[in-house]
Amino acid sequence: MALYEHTFIATPELSANELDSLNEKIASILEKNGSKIIKKEDWGIRTLAYPIKKNTKGNYNNLYIDGNNKIIKELEQFERYDERIIKFLSIKIKKVPEENSELVKNS
Amino acid sequence: MKRKKDKKKSKSGNSLFGKSNTGYNKTCPLSGKNAPEINYKNLKLLKKYVSETAKILPSRITNVSLGKQKKLALEIKKARALALLPYVGN
Repeated sequence: MALYEHTFIATPELSANELDSLNEKIASILEKNGSKIIKKEDWGIRTLAYPIKKNTKGNYNNLYIDGNNKIIKELEQFERYDERIIKFLSIKIKKVPEENSELVKNS
Repeated sequence: MKRKKDKKKSKSGNSLFGKSNTGYNKTCPLSGKNAPEINYKNLKLLKKYVSETAKILPSRITNVSLGKQKKLALEIKKARALALLPYVGN
């Protein structure tokens, strides 16, 4: 098992319900065979530095995952063909930071 | 004799060319004990090392050490991939 950091950008037009169902779907992919989501961060809607798939804004979500490469591959395969997700990035990390990052939306 | 002196002055003095002694930080700002952590989420830090046209500044200007410069470049590229930083500026 290894630690991963995964960020995905969803389209900004999603309603709260749609976003919840998306999060549930992602959680259902990740939470099996002993892998799990350790931490979640919501960065809120941010303006993109450049347009992606004709979107100028995006809904950022950040996940810390304890899992293996197979599960990350599966997650990315789902995200690649899902129209609700614009872009994603997963990175292998050594440890999960305790504090929230500066990008977390203060509300 | 006189000429020689003048030459020396211009070399170590406040000339346009060559290194000036005032306000010149020789050490790497990202190394050492209280150095900030280089991470693609730390946009405030990354923006300092990117030019107006969104290019990564060379370490000969910013005085970042070789190891940290490599890390910095990698993190800037991660931030670009997530549209946190632009690939091209104005």
